[in-house]
Amino acid sequence: MGKKELKVAFLLSLRALQRGSRASTFMTVLIISLCFTNMIFLPGLFNGIGQGITTQIVDYEVGNVLVSPRAGDQYITDLDATLDLINHMPGVERATPHYTKGATLKFRDRTLGVGVRAIIPSDEKYVSPLYTKMIAGTYLGDGDTGEVIIGKTVAGDSSVRQEDEFQPSLGGVRVGDSITIEYGNGYTKDYRVKGIYLTGWSSSDSTVYVTMSDMELVEGQALDRADYITVKAKPGYSEKFIKDELQSYGVAPDVQTTADLLSKGVGRVLQSFAIINMVSLIVSVIITTVVLFIVITIKTLNNRKQIGILKAIGVQKEVIMHSYGFQVIILAIAGIVLGILMTSLLALYLSINPIVTPEWSATLYLTPTDILMNSLILFLAAAVAGYVPAWRVSQEDIQKSMRA
Amino acid sequence: MIKTENLRKIYEMGAVEVKALDGIDLDIAKGEFVGIMGPSGSGKTTLLHMLGILDYPTTGTITIDGIDIGTLTDYEKTMFRLYKLGYVFQDYALVAELTVAENVCLPAMLRQDRTEAEYTKATREILQEIGLYERRNHLPSELSGGQQQRVAIARAMVNRPDILFADEPCANLDTESSRTVLDLFHRINEEMDQTIVMVSHEDWHKEYFHRIIRLRDGKIVEDMGKK
Repeated sequence: MGKKELKVAFLLSLRALQRGSRASTFMTVLIISLCFTNMIFLPGLFNGIGQGITTQIVDYEVGNVLVSPRAGDQYITDLDATLDLINHMPGVERATPHYTKGATLKFRDRTLGVGVRAIIPSDEKYVSPLYTKMIAGTYLGDGDTGEVIIGKTVAGDSSVRQEDEFQPSLGGVRVGDSITIEYGNGYTKDYRVKGIYLTGWSSSDSTVYVTMSDMELVEGQALDRADYITVKAKPGYSEKFIKDELQSYGVAPDVQTTADLLSKGVGRVLQSFAIINMVSLIVSVIITTVVLFIVITIKTLNNRKQIGILKAIGVQKEVIMHSYGFQVIILAIAGIVLGILMTSLLALYLSINPIVTPEWSATLYLTPTDILMNSLILFLAAAVAGYVPAWRVSQEDIQKSMRA
Repeated sequence: MIKTENLRKIYEMGAVEVKALDGIDLDIAKGEFVGIMGPSGSGKTTLLHMLGILDYPTTGTITIDGIDIGTLTDYEKTMFRLYKLGYVFQDYALVAELTVAENVCLPAMLRQDRTEAEYTKATREILQEIGLYERRNHLPSELSGGQQQRVAIARAMVNRPDILFADEPCANLDTESSRTVLDLFHRINEEMDQTIVMVSHEDWHKEYFHRIIRLRDGKIVEDMGKK
């Protein structure tokens, strides 16, 4: 096959698409684009869920790096010194401690068991976007005592009857209301609700936050310990770098990156998503291959006589085969481009209107690598599906073709 | 130019053998306008397809310009058809999606010894010769049957083949269009000394042929006007 032969093959394929049945061409392109969307949508959605969960875990639970007590210990001790050490390490934006105590909340006739999490509000701002999620009232200040911020799930909705609630709540607490908190150690105190937040992360929205200063009153002593410390990395620094730094600086307790933590619990969920993605991809590729195979087979069968004539006048069978192959390639490229457009529009729509459930919210998370890989897979599948029937018909005897 | 010896073509229809050609021996010289005639089923088209290397004989040999066609590979046959032979079919057989000019220049585009300028010039000249240059950008569906057949003749002639084969080229045309097409064949034959082998079952076409080979039951029963 030389340049001239390829030129003729391309001319034949281009003219067949330009001047052949437009409805057929459009339908084929649409089918390929839908196959592409199908290939990329479900994995993209799962990736979006995974990314959403990961982001929420980083934002509201563990930061980039989680420093936990060493094995056998209940708390990280010598908190001030540890925080001071971590905060002065390269790559660390801020480290902030969390100290949680089990408690019972009482509001009017409602009683609810929750964890009350003590934080240093000003430091927490560097680590978690919680302060941006206030839907009523305001965020805590470092010196606040007798005031709490509570999650929307805990606050509840006064218009929903208790028996109809999806999750138990205080039945419609508003900013300024007074709630009673009974701690596990017997300490009981009335708090004013300073703010109500909604993060969309179930675990966080079922929590009550107080200041470390307030928790010292509950414990009756200065708090120089924490359940764990969350560490936020500066932009450009990897979690692994921070972890290695912490360990090299001799921060003895257990240090784990988000990736370490995800590889355990949520990581398994993400692995399950990956398996489903693979199955979805295989099914989509099979559908695309079969559809294109049928389309090109019908096309070649309908054109058998013309193929015979072309061979009779001296057109090589390879030219005929490539003319159909090029048609498939052009259709596949057009389908993939349309598919990318459709998927991008879907991604844009879902970024504005994410799919929200009580546990997570999902957008379509697509990377250029995903799009490139799926395009390549679909392109190869289309090429195979097109070339096989084209090759078969090009091999046929001239007489047989011309009699068709 | 064309020589066949004891050419036979036998089709097996289940348990029955049908002799489409039964021992054809003939010679066709350069510049002859040969008409192959005979009743339906006499083997006219089969013989034309054998001579045009579109089919292969069961036994016997075909020699064109001293080359034994039976010794050629599939690729060599394709190249032989491209460089040395031209075809006109009963149903015009133009590519519906190509314009008149594209249909005509298609075989010329594939020749390695032709540049783009050369095949464009050849296409223009042959279209001017058949009087359809003005309609070069039209699709076949926009032309009459007679015009389409003239385009098919132009396509067959664009490579200036040694032999032009025509399989009942007027079968789908009215008398006036048939005469236009036959006049064109006559002109090509006279002016270019073009060898033409044409199948026809219309008696009045005889006036155009130098030589008439009449077949019946796969055998030559008459060979009139042989040089």
